[in-house]
Amino acid sequence: MISLLEDLEQLNRAPAPDPIGAPAIGSLALHLVLFGSLLLYGVLNGFFHHMMWGNPGSGGAIEVSLVSNALPLPAEKVNENVLTTDTPSQAPAEPTPKTKEAEDEKAIEISGKQVKPQQKTAPKAQKNPQLAKDNHAQYGEQAGSAMPRSATAQGGNGPVSVANGDFGSRFGWYVDIIKHKVDQNWYRAEVDPRTPKGATVQVYFKVSRQGVPSNFKINNSSGSPTLDLSCERATQRVDTFGALPAGSNDQWIDVTYDCAY
Amino acid sequence: MKNDSRLLLLCLLILSCFAAGKLPAQDWVHTGTNLGNDRIRIAAADFKPLGNDPQNPALKTVFDATLYRDLANAGIFDLVSKSMAPQQTPGSPQEIKLTQWSDAPANAAMVAFGTVSAGNGKLTVYGWLYATTNIASPQVLSKQYSDDASPDSARTLAHRFADDIILRLGGGINGIAETKIYFVSSRTGSKEIWAMDYDGENQHQITHLGSISLSPRVSPDNSRLAFASLSNSGWSVRMYSLELNRPVGFSAGTAGGSNQSPAWSADGAKIAFSSSRTGDPEIWVCDASGANLRRLTSFRGPDVSPTWNPRTNAQIAWVSGRTGLPQIYIMDADGANIQRMTDGGYAISPSWSPNGQFLTFSWNRKYGPGDPGGQDIYVMDIASKRWLQVTHESGSNDFPSWAPDGRHIVFERASGSHAQIWTMLADGTGQRQLTHTGNNYMPNWSWK
Repeated sequence: MISLLEDLEQLNRAPAPDPIGAPAIGSLALHLVLFGSLLLYGVLNGFFHHMMWGNPGSGGAIEVSLVSNALPLPAEKVNENVLTTDTPSQAPAEPTPKTKEAEDEKAIEISGKQVKPQQKTAPKAQKNPQLAKDNHAQYGEQAGSAMPRSATAQGGNGPVSVANGDFGSRFGWYVDIIKHKVDQNWYRAEVDPRTPKGATVQVYFKVSRQGVPSNFKINNSSGSPTLDLSCERATQRVDTFGALPAGSNDQWIDVTYDCAY
Repeated sequence: MKNDSRLLLLCLLILSCFAAGKLPAQDWVHTGTNLGNDRIRIAAADFKPLGNDPQNPALKTVFDATLYRDLANAGIFDLVSKSMAPQQTPGSPQEIKLTQWSDAPANAAMVAFGTVSAGNGKLTVYGWLYATTNIASPQVLSKQYSDDASPDSARTLAHRFADDIILRLGGGINGIAETKIYFVSSRTGSKEIWAMDYDGENQHQITHLGSISLSPRVSPDNSRLAFASLSNSGWSVRMYSLELNRPVGFSAGTAGGSNQSPAWSADGAKIAFSSSRTGDPEIWVCDASGANLRRLTSFRGPDVSPTWNPRTNAQIAWVSGRTGLPQIYIMDADGANIQRMTDGGYAISPSWSPNGQFLTFSWNRKYGPGDPGGQDIYVMDIASKRWLQVTHESGSNDFPSWAPDGRHIVFERASGSHAQIWTMLADGTGQRQLTHTGNNYMPNWSWK
């Protein structure tokens, strides 16, 4: 009976309120964060504009770099050295050989002690005399972002010779322009990679008074048709080297150009 | 309490996902070889002032600074810094000691020197360029210039001498020191067309329409300026005479619909532009007078921003949205042989290089929700479709335009709410800001 009364009492008692406050606030905060994030995302990603262009297509693109170097810019000189300073510094001097301790001239000689006479040997003549080492440290800044110019050869490509009297000696700067411009337009990628290193082709062309090259022909073939063709194309790609120097009386100059693979 | 901490963790996780989505997704392309194709090391000696005119020192200072800056910006020289140069200011070939310039620390292969003299309201400059290593025959260039005695003239004469040096040593390619850049500026309250020298000097307003003017394109002979302007009848392509200093008629650009983004052919005979007079924005071409109007494209989706191949005048590159997002296409000038150049992303604002070999354009290669990338300038070799990214992680870059030397590019860079005009060498190096006042957009480099 007592237990029955207790049960009834429990039933009549008002139920305790569920703890909904904290979860409700949490839920509200979560919804606010979600809504704000979506809004921010839409604004930041241009969701509200450019709809006239349709739906975004698939992204991605060819992962290649520009290898042509036809931009009329000289290449940045890339220095592989790790030291980065503009000023050359002296490398540490080589350690000097230890000198024998000088004998004390005042020392009294011990009588009876035999002193071995020092064998004097004639200095051996070096078969291959070494040149004096340049004692400068390697220096130079690492190039930042050089335009890719993987198409042309290392270290320039051979001599340019101009067959008009003393033109080459009087106007060396013009010969340099010819060298630079053809070099810029020589795409090494056109050459068959099986071409042996060091193969050289000599191309002949004529440069008019206005600086326009013409009459291209292969003077000495390298034996590799692709190398021959690439070098000839390099000279043909040049529109002009600029007018011949004012001090020159030549109406044209004959140029031979070596492309060394 | 435990539930709260879980909620907090969930919120942080969601936020971090969004934050990760905004990280720049850039690809860097780095390659290069040592070609031994060095820049020419050149020194610009301070010019020697002649005479006692009180204007002389000021004009000489302007001349020296401008010449030095022009040679430094040329992109083909390794310029000897002033601190490395000998103290002497040779005024004539008799006064110069070439070994001082060829020896360390200057190590110059070339030296530019001369005199500046003002008198009777005239400024006269004698300039020489000598090869320091060729003692027997050192003279490369010898020039005389004359103009009014004013700072502007001193700057102009320095530009001329620099251009002559660049033409001589740059292999027959004209320098750009005397070229102009046209652009849109809102510094007066409305978007008007402005012009400035290539180095950002001498900025001045061209149009005074009190409306919105965009996309300035100067004609190859620098006589006229085509641009898009908003009027009561909508967007129209208008023409401004730089010789008469007033707008002139261009009937083809004012028909119905939006008419925008004009482009001159290199011979100045034709203009291509975008017009929606038939409903969809398409590419139209007409004579410079406005006659012989005809449509080139007829696909669904917008076609805008044409640019001619300046070498051949036989091809046009433009932006088309026919497959969704805008992509760069090229076609023949009669509308045939359409070829898509970009394979994705958001590519706009093409400009064709003077040698006809490259396109530069603005490209967001990772455009789209969840794939945010940067809007950067790219250079593409048209024959191989290989490209190079030339700006990296520096604001939003758009509207690139080639300089006539093919070595420089001018472009708009927007950072936050500010847009300014910048230039750089075509390999992305040597970036310089040209404008600093107000907001400035859509630059266009003159043809000469």
